[in-house]
Amino acid sequence: MNARFIKSSEKKEILNELNEYYGVSKLPYLLIETGRQRIRAFSGSLSKEEILKLARHANIEIIGLYLASKRDDDIRLNFDAVSLLKDQIKENIVEIDEKQLALWIRGFDLDIKYKRGPVVIKYKDEIVGVGKSNEEKLFNYIPKERKVRTPVPSL
Amino acid sequence: MEYKYQMKPLLKERMQKLLPDEQDFAEYERITHEETRSYIRCNTLKISIEELFSKLSEKWSVKQPFPKHPEIMLVLSDLMPGELGNSLEHTLGYYYIQEISSMLPVLSLNPEPEEFVLDVFASPGSKTTQIAAKMNNTGTLLANDLKIERIKILSSNTEKCGVTNCIITRNDAINLCGNLSKTDFKFDKILLDSPCSGEGIFRSSPKTMNIWNFNVIKGLSKQQKKFISLALKCLKKGGTLVYSTCTHAPEENEEIVDFALNNFPVKIENLSLPLKSRPGITEWNGKTFHKDIIKCARIYPQDNDSEGFFLAKLTLLEELK
Repeated sequence: MNARFIKSSEKKEILNELNEYYGVSKLPYLLIETGRQRIRAFSGSLSKEEILKLARHANIEIIGLYLASKRDDDIRLNFDAVSLLKDQIKENIVEIDEKQLALWIRGFDLDIKYKRGPVVIKYKDEIVGVGKSNEEKLFNYIPKERKVRTPVPSL
Repeated sequence: MEYKYQMKPLLKERMQKLLPDEQDFAEYERITHEETRSYIRCNTLKISIEELFSKLSEKWSVKQPFPKHPEIMLVLSDLMPGELGNSLEHTLGYYYIQEISSMLPVLSLNPEPEEFVLDVFASPGSKTTQIAAKMNNTGTLLANDLKIERIKILSSNTEKCGVTNCIITRNDAINLCGNLSKTDFKFDKILLDSPCSGEGIFRSSPKTMNIWNFNVIKGLSKQQKKFISLALKCLKKGGTLVYSTCTHAPEENEEIVDFALNNFPVKIENLSLPLKSRPGITEWNGKTFHKDIIKCARIYPQDNDSEGFFLAKLTLLEELK
């Protein structure tokens, strides 16, 4: 198993960062770090010790959900983790309109000025992804395989 | 009538034996060349059934055909190719596109919150994500498959559906169940949705007709007996195993359940399904099966305008060593 269980002191640091960027205050998960500084969240009932024991009898590939990654001093929430934490996210939310949504879900960056750093994108009552702002533009972090593949409609 | 894909003569002969009524067989043959209907399953880990139904109803005609299973929705609108997979709601993982008969094994297994559940052949993840939703991301779900390409598809689907209670393993099923059977990891429920010859999925995968081969069925039948033998050893006493395939071949269905009933302390349960099903057959090519085999369910495409499926639900009466 190519993973490391995150200690409670590190979990506190991660939570502090998520709180600072997004306003997230609770992470009721077992956190695991895998390659490329990816943090995964596991809500299952097996303890760390039981998972390690299981790993002696089964080839474990993946545990839980890809929650966030730590890159360039930023902590970036994963696309699917956003919906997990959507009730807690209060900071760095950029609201977009229907035209911008049509571009966003097809993987285009948006010409929206916002303060530098990771952002959460919202359309009406939906959180529709995560991105990063360089103050001039919002870079689109929708995973390639999840982008809508139809042409941009004329709105 | 000439179709692009034709049943091989032996397959046709076997299906006619299973469906001796001429009109019934003709109906079966006709429907296997039609596309399936557009069923989806609400991913309750991300959105409520009511909210999704309301959102989808704004763009499509949608109905919930099964009052006991409101998460299952049927899209009645004429859709553009790929339209279901290109909606915002699909991108956000609010629903999973899943053929209705493929939802039945998990409905029969009935996983509950806090349970310890094993999905032996999990990829692509339609049933894994359905199990996780039933468990409300609690308990632990062990989802296994063999090849890394299949694991990637499985994990992409568990991620998309927001599954957090799952541990994905990559093992040969025989090794996994063999190893786990020697430990104190015992499962409340196991889904053994076995690799099979795929006679039930001609509608979505018509090429399967061309690759059908009776020798493959004989080989699969041997393997499936090993799978069920070892999977049963991983169950808790009183635990449930659902055995399912997407094929009609009795060698891969009733013969496997018959093998389990005759060799292990198991009982077969009655199934309560939202689709019309036919009982398991008690005789095939000179073999007579256990009398309780009638409790198995055969799903024929012509009965429900679905794909074909087979399932059986077993309870383990005493823990196996």
